[in-house]
Amino acid sequence: MKKKFNLFNPQYAARSWFVLFNTIFFILLMAVMIIPIYKIFCDSMVNQTVYGLNLLPRGLDPETGKNAWFNVIAYKRIITDPALYHPFWVSVYTTLLTTFLGLLISTLGAYVLIQRDMPGVKLFGYLLLFTMIFNGGLIPTFLVMKRVGLLDSIWAVIVPTSMNVYNLVLMRSFFEGIPASLFEAAEIDGCTPMGIFIKIVLPLSKAALASIGLFFAVAAWSEYFHYVIYIKSSDKYNFQYKLRDLFQDKQDASEGTKINVNTLKSAAVIVSVVPFMFIYPFCQKYFMTGVTMGAVKE
Amino acid sequence: MANNNDNFDHVIVNKPSIGQRMFKYRWFYLMFLPVAVVLLIFFYWPMLGVRYAWSTYKLKQITLRLGPDYSTGWGNFQRLFTSDPFHSAFRNTIVLSFFNLVFATVLTVVIALLINEIGNAWGKKIVQTVLYLPHFLSWVVAASIFMLILSAGTDATGADTSNMGFVNAIVAKIYNLFHNDPYVPIDFLTEGKWWRVVWYIMNRWKETGWGTIIYLAALSSISPDLYEAAEIDGANRFKQTWYITVPSLMDTILVVFILNLAKIMNIFESVFVLYNSLVYDVSDVIQTYVYRVGIVGNDYGYSTAIGLFKSVVSLVLVSASDVISKKVRGYGIV
Repeated sequence: MKKKFNLFNPQYAARSWFVLFNTIFFILLMAVMIIPIYKIFCDSMVNQTVYGLNLLPRGLDPETGKNAWFNVIAYKRIITDPALYHPFWVSVYTTLLTTFLGLLISTLGAYVLIQRDMPGVKLFGYLLLFTMIFNGGLIPTFLVMKRVGLLDSIWAVIVPTSMNVYNLVLMRSFFEGIPASLFEAAEIDGCTPMGIFIKIVLPLSKAALASIGLFFAVAAWSEYFHYVIYIKSSDKYNFQYKLRDLFQDKQDASEGTKINVNTLKSAAVIVSVVPFMFIYPFCQKYFMTGVTMGAVKE
Repeated sequence: MANNNDNFDHVIVNKPSIGQRMFKYRWFYLMFLPVAVVLLIFFYWPMLGVRYAWSTYKLKQITLRLGPDYSTGWGNFQRLFTSDPFHSAFRNTIVLSFFNLVFATVLTVVIALLINEIGNAWGKKIVQTVLYLPHFLSWVVAASIFMLILSAGTDATGADTSNMGFVNAIVAKIYNLFHNDPYVPIDFLTEGKWWRVVWYIMNRWKETGWGTIIYLAALSSISPDLYEAAEIDGANRFKQTWYITVPSLMDTILVVFILNLAKIMNIFESVFVLYNSLVYDVSDVIQTYVYRVGIVGNDYGYSTAIGLFKSVVSLVLVSASDVISKKVRGYGIV
């Protein structure tokens, strides 16, 4: 492959100009991706009424009358106001519960589905797949939740999110990659099905567990609509719901404080994004394993 | 040879009976039990509820502890097909999904091809990391970010527009270079002609990068021999892309396209978090309409009918995609 970068040597010019424009294109594209988030970050650190084109986390503090870097007054408000930090904890524990339950359901289901000789296993597979192409719809599901008494219960949000057929099928294709001879050897050694599951299948599927666990965690953290339809009491709302509430101006959370409402909104956006930003760079490869795996097996 | 085959058949005939096999797998049935319970309660039980589509079932029936009233027959569907909000919702669903799908296909493929041309491994990794990032933000967060940067000012009545969002501030700067009169900020999310543009941009901002993964995987599986042969034949990089890379991607492009085609009726949350009553005529989709009629308006019978109509159209689309898929690549999508 020609690697030489020279814009004016006829032998390399065409490729070199392309490389130059491609680099500029991606720098601009990355700016388009990042600037909206970065702008919100800056605005969350500036407690003033007019932000305009400011692209630095620095601005006039109305209290002191001086320019200040990293004004965290809005963040202080979020971690001290129960109406704002309580939803954050709801988000944290529902995410943990959904991830755990989701992995439990996916691994158990997937482990059963790879038992080719088991009578009825095909039917189980079809029962699962059919829900991907047809469902009762929003209202009948809502009425069932009402009937079983799960309205205004956190489980109405957790359980349906934990049962994700796509993730279950993905887990099955990971399990199918485990050599059958391992199962046979363990069976001859007198290992029970549950023993094989815990001692062989799970330890060999760490990458799959990480990958699918992260899918569940992201889905649970982002959950919003289920809260809108099923949850009525304000102490059970998660942070996404609270964030949306702030933006719909239903009540002014900055009332009685010296915080600008837009500063508070920006800070709330950043708070809801931060936990994920911390783990994302380390977990990117697991996300990608999951996606390419699904694409290949589909 | 014949003898051997006979012996083999003999072994097959002596397979354990179904009862023996079920006994052998007894623990697996127990393991599947939690999955089956969740599946039956939360997925199959609601399917029985589609019968409400042929009933009148409102809050009144619930508070009076009456069941749904089935005397209406096909009334809900008659009402549906003559209702203007439904026509509007159906049209919006198709228009928004279809254009989004077209933009997605074109942009994602082009960007994947360009990422593939990045020679520097570190540069490539950084670009991918940044481009995938917005995918992990929730729709609520994405909409919140867009609401802030597109804001027209602090006051809904337009009296004080000094606090414009980032986009309006940039446009104002440019506008003031050429005009002497003050710039009037555009309220992107409440003006019908802008709302769809914003929705498309938000979708592409969030999902384009993530969509490239599948194409990059396909690109990495193209045999380098093809490129070497083309180079020996004197094809330049552009010709190599046009005659080798693009044809090799066609199968993946088609698969992704038909998979997404099967899902076009499902758009919901991205609209739900961005729309408002001022732009219902261009933004209201079937799912949001069902929500407003059913959950907000408590008209369960009618909204079940709308939802059922949507599910049936979806089912037809999935089946059609499956048939196309079987024709094109030999196996289906479900």
